[in-house]
Amino acid sequence: MLASVLSATLHGLEGRPVRVEVDVAPGLPGFTIVGLADAALREARERVRGALRNSGFVHPPRRITVNLAPADVPKAGSALDLGIAIAVLVGSEQVTPRGRWAMLGELGLGGEVRRVPGLLPMVAALARRGAGRVVVPAEAVDEARLVPGIEVVGASTLAEAADVLRGRRVAGRGPASRAELVPLEAPPIVPSATGGTDEDVPNLADVRGLLEARRALEIALAGGHGLVLIGPPGSGKTMLARTIPGILPPLDDDEAREVTIVASVAGAAPLRGLVRRRPFRAPHHTASYAALVGGGPRMAPGEVTLAHHGVLFLDELPEFDRPSLEALRQPLEEGQVSVARVGRAVVFPARFQLVAAMNPCPCGWDGDPAARCRCPGGDPERYRGRISGPLRDRIDLWVGVPRIAPRDLLRAAEPESSAAVAGRIAAGRARQVAGRGRLNGRLSGRALRSAAALDRAAERRAIALAERAGMTARATERLVRVARTIADLAAADRVATEHLEEAARYRPPAGDRRAAFGAA
Amino acid sequence: MLGVGRGGPVGELTPLPADGGAAGPPTGTPPAAPRSESSLRGGDRPCRAGARLPAATSSASSSGGGRRMSEREAWVVLASIDGLGPVSFGALLRAHGSARRVLEVAARRGGAGRLVAGAAAEDLRLAPEVAAAVVRAGHGSRALLARLASAGVEPITAEDDGYPPRLRGIELPPPVLFVTGDAGALATVRAVAVVGTRRPTDDGRSTASQIAAVLAAAGATVVSGLAVGIDGAAHAGALLAEGATVAVLGSGHARLYPPAHAHLAREIVRTGGAVVAEVPPDADPRPASFPRRNRIIAALADATVVVEAGERSGALITASWALEQGRALFVVPGPLGRPQSTGCNRLLRAHPGEVRIVAGMDELLEDLGYGIPLAVRRRRLERSESPLPDAGAVLARLGPAEAAVVRRLLEGPATADSLAGAADLQAATVLAVLTRLEEEGLVVGAFGRYRLAGALGGLRSVRAGHRGRLPAGASHL
Repeated sequence: MLASVLSATLHGLEGRPVRVEVDVAPGLPGFTIVGLADAALREARERVRGALRNSGFVHPPRRITVNLAPADVPKAGSALDLGIAIAVLVGSEQVTPRGRWAMLGELGLGGEVRRVPGLLPMVAALARRGAGRVVVPAEAVDEARLVPGIEVVGASTLAEAADVLRGRRVAGRGPASRAELVPLEAPPIVPSATGGTDEDVPNLADVRGLLEARRALEIALAGGHGLVLIGPPGSGKTMLARTIPGILPPLDDDEAREVTIVASVAGAAPLRGLVRRRPFRAPHHTASYAALVGGGPRMAPGEVTLAHHGVLFLDELPEFDRPSLEALRQPLEEGQVSVARVGRAVVFPARFQLVAAMNPCPCGWDGDPAARCRCPGGDPERYRGRISGPLRDRIDLWVGVPRIAPRDLLRAAEPESSAAVAGRIAAGRARQVAGRGRLNGRLSGRALRSAAALDRAAERRAIALAERAGMTARATERLVRVARTIADLAAADRVATEHLEEAARYRPPAGDRRAAFGAA
Repeated sequence: MLGVGRGGPVGELTPLPADGGAAGPPTGTPPAAPRSESSLRGGDRPCRAGARLPAATSSASSSGGGRRMSEREAWVVLASIDGLGPVSFGALLRAHGSARRVLEVAARRGGAGRLVAGAAAEDLRLAPEVAAAVVRAGHGSRALLARLASAGVEPITAEDDGYPPRLRGIELPPPVLFVTGDAGALATVRAVAVVGTRRPTDDGRSTASQIAAVLAAAGATVVSGLAVGIDGAAHAGALLAEGATVAVLGSGHARLYPPAHAHLAREIVRTGGAVVAEVPPDADPRPASFPRRNRIIAALADATVVVEAGERSGALITASWALEQGRALFVVPGPLGRPQSTGCNRLLRAHPGEVRIVAGMDELLEDLGYGIPLAVRRRRLERSESPLPDAGAVLARLGPAEAAVVRRLLEGPATADSLAGAADLQAATVLAVLTRLEEEGLVVGAFGRYRLAGALGGLRSVRAGHRGRLPAGASHL
């Protein structure tokens, strides 16, 4: 008998509805899956067989053909397991359906229904397709219910899913047809005065000294600018970067929706509601290209996408391999990254803010007052040169983080807390969004010029500062962009000369592999 | 005149008909000018007659109306050729008799081959690409000379009276020096080179400034290489004491290396010093050109002082040039185990009796024989005028925030934290102030640490380190 069940597969960050058709026919016993299934899906055969047997059903000794339609869409992953098993049950007349249900979930050999990555976009795709009801893994019910307009029921075993289909089990049904995507529990992140939002997020109040770097971090986070911290080992670069989650404002609704979808596809943990917290990703420099950019056999989103609307922190920036660093250029420019594989290409959103840390040279001590650097001549310049010009041009702020003598550390002024800084950042961001609709980090060309509103004196100053540093046109824009954020932090409508002068401090160390900025 | 007439005009270098050169053998006709055996050695000066031609010599040209190139200009053109060093220069000159003749020969059909053959007669294997470069230079000589003028660079040939006498005595003197600034600074009575590593300690940096300031106050020209680190500190120290200082480049003037020192180079020229290169303005900085440049640094001075040098520092090359050229060599000794002093200490060990120690400022001046100040300096000192620039005046023209930051920096290098604390300013203000001071050339910073530079750079060290000889200037600081 022929049976058909609606399910879905994942393509990039999008779900695509898939109709699972099963024909259980007399003949030599067999189990065939057709319809561009990937490796994980072909193995569904074994999982379905085991799950049926161990859930008290019979794996029919007939010729079973599974067709996944549309036939020309590549299907990947294990989310179709449940749909296939149910279709087999219906096709072999072990279950008589009462009503239509879409099915999503991976099966274990014991019949458990397991969580799959990307449930949220897949359920959303089913809802768009007009499916009224869907069975999902019980542990992911909250995630599926973020989608409005579709009734969601959780099943923890294949037997439970079959019961739902038979109409025997209605308990645990959630409210259907939510009017909009509303978070179930979305506590906005309010940085406390004592310790950020988590115990493992250090508070800025615990970071002594580093005045210049703290200031640069504040500007970067307020304006959505890229930031590179350069300093010797132990100077506090990484510590400073780790305070970021505690000073970033929460996501707004649109951003939260996008970030939640990414989190769903990443599938690291079951989602309990809309993600409100800005992502902070810190991949190690040994991470592969695919891990950073996205791709791999599953076409999974990479770190640049996982950091969408948040911060991508790259410690030891020059240690990342060159292709990975160059691959950052597209997302930094366009806010998205395209990953192409044979036969398909996927575009992932990747509007992250780059924060990076690096040593000034391979040994880390270039520029040290006691000249402890052991690098052979030219090596420090070459090391910094690993950050190519085009990438360098896309990073707005560069700041030195000197090592501070313990004596000076004790004498340093009592540092501000994360809460105080977060307040200014939020206010600065609000000014930008209210006035210009976007953060300054994404301003350029005419929009930037009109936003900066330089008067004649300030314009002359900008040109003088740019010329002195031998800046390129791009670098001049960078100067004005940073100055715009400094002005926003000062609640100034126009960019004034002192804003430009401060902004000029955050230029990259001489990029042409020649003398760094230590002269005379 | 030289054997130029035979060839025709060289100025515009219209290629000669093949028969034009048929008079002479392919190796070049015997020169009419007195032939010098060692064109560039000792006091012997080749082509004396040619060099006496005024640069503006113009005689009617048979074609095109372009004026003929003077021998001096021909020297400049030849010396500008990439890959043509003093050895090849000398060989070509000996083979063909004059620089003009070399260019003439090059301009003929098969000129490159003739050049190679001519050089071979002088036991020199002239690389074909260099010969080709000579041919090209012959054709582009006008543009090349125009470029020199537009770059504001003055060539001085070994034939010119202004050629530094100290350079004449050395092996392989550069045939032509390219100079901006006052060429007189190259030939002062007293001149000392102060050199060292590009990555010194703060101590080394201030020692270099201090030595340079003291030498300058004693009327000596301070010669160095304009590199970052010790060289830069030495130039700055000399400027501080209002002395003349000479920077010898390893690249062309228009490709100044390091670019970060462009400001310093301008200051050197502005204050009566000179910036010198052996190569034409557009020559790129290359690793190989710096050791060559070092021989000129050593040669332009009576003595070389190495302040800090690592095991493989380029300053050690300057030091060995100084010894080879028979100049005095002084070394600032350093603690064992400090990499910046390894090279200095090894020099002392390797050349006992030849290398001397800088035991103090007075001792250095005494050892150099500079004990008695030059007349001018003495008068200045008698009028108890400070040889130091008036730092008070510098502070006075700064705004209050700038002055507060500078005052803190006079105590030593600092981070933005200490500056903000000491000057009681917001981070934003301190950073804007630092940009302004950096523009003035008063402050430099690297990786979050800031220190004084330029007119104020050596001030602290000079005042702290050299009591007595210099009247305390700016005591109100």
